[in-house]
Amino acid sequence: MLAKLFSYKTPQNLLVLMNAMALFLIYFYREDMDRTFIIAGISLIALIYLSNFLLQKISYGDHYLFLIMGMLVSIGVIMIYRIHPEYGLKQILWLGFGILSFFLAYLITKKMKGWERFTNIYVLLSMILFIATLLFGVKVKGATNWIRIAGFNFQPSEIIKILFVFFLASYYVKQNVFKNPYTFWVIVYSYIGFLFIQRDLGGALLFFLVFITIAYIYDKNRKWILYNLAFASLIALFSYFFINHVQVRVITWLDPWQHIDSKGYQITQSLFAIASGGFFGTGVGLGHPEFIPEVHTDFIFSAICEEMGIFGGIAVIMLFMILVYRGFKIALYQQHRFFRIVALGITMMFGFQAFIILGGVMKMIPLTGVTLPFVSYGGSSLISSFVSLGILQVASEELDGEQEEEHGY
Amino acid sequence: MDIEPKRIIRVLVVFTGLFISLVVYLSYFEVFEAAKIQKNAYNKRQWVNEENILRGMIVDRNGNTLAYSEKTENGQIRYYPYENIYSHIIGYSSKEYGKAGLESSYNQELLAIDAGNPIQEFKDKLSKTEKKGNHLILTIDHDLQVYANQKLKGKKGAIVALNPQTGEIYAMVSKPDFNPSKLKENWTEIIENPDSPLLNRGTMGLYTPGSVFKVITATAALEDEEVSKGFQCKGSVSIEGYTLKDYGETAHGAIDLEEALVKSCNVAFSQMGLELGKTKLKDTAQRYWFNKEISFDLSTKNSIFPESKIVTKPDLGASAIGQGKILVTPLNMAMVAASISNDGRMMKPILVKEVLSPEGRTIKTGRVATLSQVSSEEVIAQLKEMMVQVVEKGTGRNARIKNVKVAGKTGTAENETKKTHAWFIGFAPAEDPKIAIAVVLESIDKTGGESAAPIARDIMIKALEKLQ
Repeated sequence: MLAKLFSYKTPQNLLVLMNAMALFLIYFYREDMDRTFIIAGISLIALIYLSNFLLQKISYGDHYLFLIMGMLVSIGVIMIYRIHPEYGLKQILWLGFGILSFFLAYLITKKMKGWERFTNIYVLLSMILFIATLLFGVKVKGATNWIRIAGFNFQPSEIIKILFVFFLASYYVKQNVFKNPYTFWVIVYSYIGFLFIQRDLGGALLFFLVFITIAYIYDKNRKWILYNLAFASLIALFSYFFINHVQVRVITWLDPWQHIDSKGYQITQSLFAIASGGFFGTGVGLGHPEFIPEVHTDFIFSAICEEMGIFGGIAVIMLFMILVYRGFKIALYQQHRFFRIVALGITMMFGFQAFIILGGVMKMIPLTGVTLPFVSYGGSSLISSFVSLGILQVASEELDGEQEEEHGY
Repeated sequence: MDIEPKRIIRVLVVFTGLFISLVVYLSYFEVFEAAKIQKNAYNKRQWVNEENILRGMIVDRNGNTLAYSEKTENGQIRYYPYENIYSHIIGYSSKEYGKAGLESSYNQELLAIDAGNPIQEFKDKLSKTEKKGNHLILTIDHDLQVYANQKLKGKKGAIVALNPQTGEIYAMVSKPDFNPSKLKENWTEIIENPDSPLLNRGTMGLYTPGSVFKVITATAALEDEEVSKGFQCKGSVSIEGYTLKDYGETAHGAIDLEEALVKSCNVAFSQMGLELGKTKLKDTAQRYWFNKEISFDLSTKNSIFPESKIVTKPDLGASAIGQGKILVTPLNMAMVAASISNDGRMMKPILVKEVLSPEGRTIKTGRVATLSQVSSEEVIAQLKEMMVQVVEKGTGRNARIKNVKVAGKTGTAENETKKTHAWFIGFAPAEDPKIAIAVVLESIDKTGGESAAPIARDIMIKALEKLQ
């Protein structure tokens, strides 16, 4: 027992080791680190280690999910701390809340039954949140998708993400919720439309991708999927020609160097960071990721590439790949149809969101600002990701599948 | 198997593909694009690292400080005490405008960025020692450089003076120039100036050589026994309807090769060119390093002997007298003169004599190396004697120095500007050469003998005094 506790083969211990080494490097290379940093570091290590321990006691489902998250979140916190110590401290606080909300989401989702019955409530809640954003929204970084409550900024779209997945899942359990089939499309596109109005292009793209993929797996009207794709392409073309900020994204993707001092500044700074890291990186604390605007949120991956190298970056990509793999595996084994779709939806949210921002900051695809789940700085994003993960944890357990037999294929 | 799991697996495969494509793209980016991108002036990282290292000094061969840096409260300032005099040799190192000259080509040495030694870096970090760059010792003789600068004042053109036996550059001037300490104030003026002051004419300026090229044609003619050595000059010659004239249409009458060179007879040399053919002429020119890259401490351009563009007989005749499509750099022509003085051995030019560590340890030395044997020693000996006669009694009389035997060749090159370039290449003393030189005055509309030769003479006198 004791031997196992200290064995380097246990993933939790590897995580502790990785964290300890990285934190030592930051402490060593940054002169401005003090005692708070040591306390913060120890709390980070303890949080992840203990919550892993706790999860193993209460859930008999997939334990890898939490480990993958632990690794991602550690890399994220280390980078954020290294860039902005005060943000790093806040992120550790958020991480504490996040883990709390993970367990809460896990327990609530597990104890409450009949989630598949609330289709209308999911839609209603989402729309209320959307409208609230429109009315009380604060503009941050060109997108009006923040609400300010009691001194805290939060992003309603992070909650809507989960509601959207639940809505899709509850609809596709039987696909007979609405009498008129068009109602469903209208609702889906109003989600996307709202995001578009808020200028949250990344969000709109993310929602569409999740929707179209779920539809591909579950929708009975196969032709409709093609119609949707055609419709989406039309919209995309239209926006490219008539909506300025969409055009800007494409232009800076094709040739950011021409606009290096204006529109292309951010993406080129990101490319400089990735380029100067090389394969092994400059080492934590030795690069200059702070030259990239918004490095702690959308561009955190560029900072990772600069200081931990392309190999560090590839590791992050691989972690997301394993996360997606575990998520799909959970879906394949889950007997409960609703939670099967929820597992897929949540996994796709993680997967597509990671792909959109990773591909964006390395200029493989046009850049649309979304956060990198678990890694980027930000309370709303972190908590939403943790809640999603908690729900995925429930889905990874064996659930009552009776409803499956009634309406199965 | 149900359709649903099948579709789920298909989607999983797509996802895996997406993530793998990210990995592939990232690796591709790092291997093929990163190096190029990093050098972009907007990448501030290049500068941050530099701020922490005190940039090394640059001194001439006698220890005169030509460039140095001093620490300030926030960073460091680079000083160029001689301003314009070294604008093209040392260049500049500026945050806004990048780097040029030795500041660019020896950037790594000046900042002492070696091939990363992490342990040393770790130690430095612990001991918090201030990082210092290496110093450069140039082959330049500061007094001669200043003097050459004065000689070219107000003119356009270039001067390159070097040690023919080692290839060490003593002076290299290019005009117009600029003040590296006042780049910010003068930048628009500098880049909008149609005479391109940023261009180092010494190494990158391509000029029509005119008659100085005749030493190369003469080399080829001396090597080839079948080429006639006696000519009849009537002041002009018609090659397939195209008339080539001598300067002032002077008829030189019956002359031999030596006299042809002494009087710079176009009629004789164009005839030699026709007899030699373009291949032989090209081979000889290439032994003088035409069409080849000169590996040098500054960036260079290749002198051009465009064999493919020499099609007709008039083309060939014009090439033999250094007109037509032939283009040369002053550095290359100085090397031509040097190689003739040095029994045909063309030496690799050197500008940086030594790289010294801050502690004074030699890190790198400019190695003396032979580039090419331009021709046999006999041919070169004959050619040398002819070039002495050029200065004794020919077009290069203005380069004569009392008690010193000077060898040389003048050139007056017609070019697209309508105003001729004046050339002089030469060396002294002819029996034991200490200095070789090339002077070109751009679009000055005077002959090489009247304008370039006196400048070359003065610089050679100064150099011989200094080198005594």
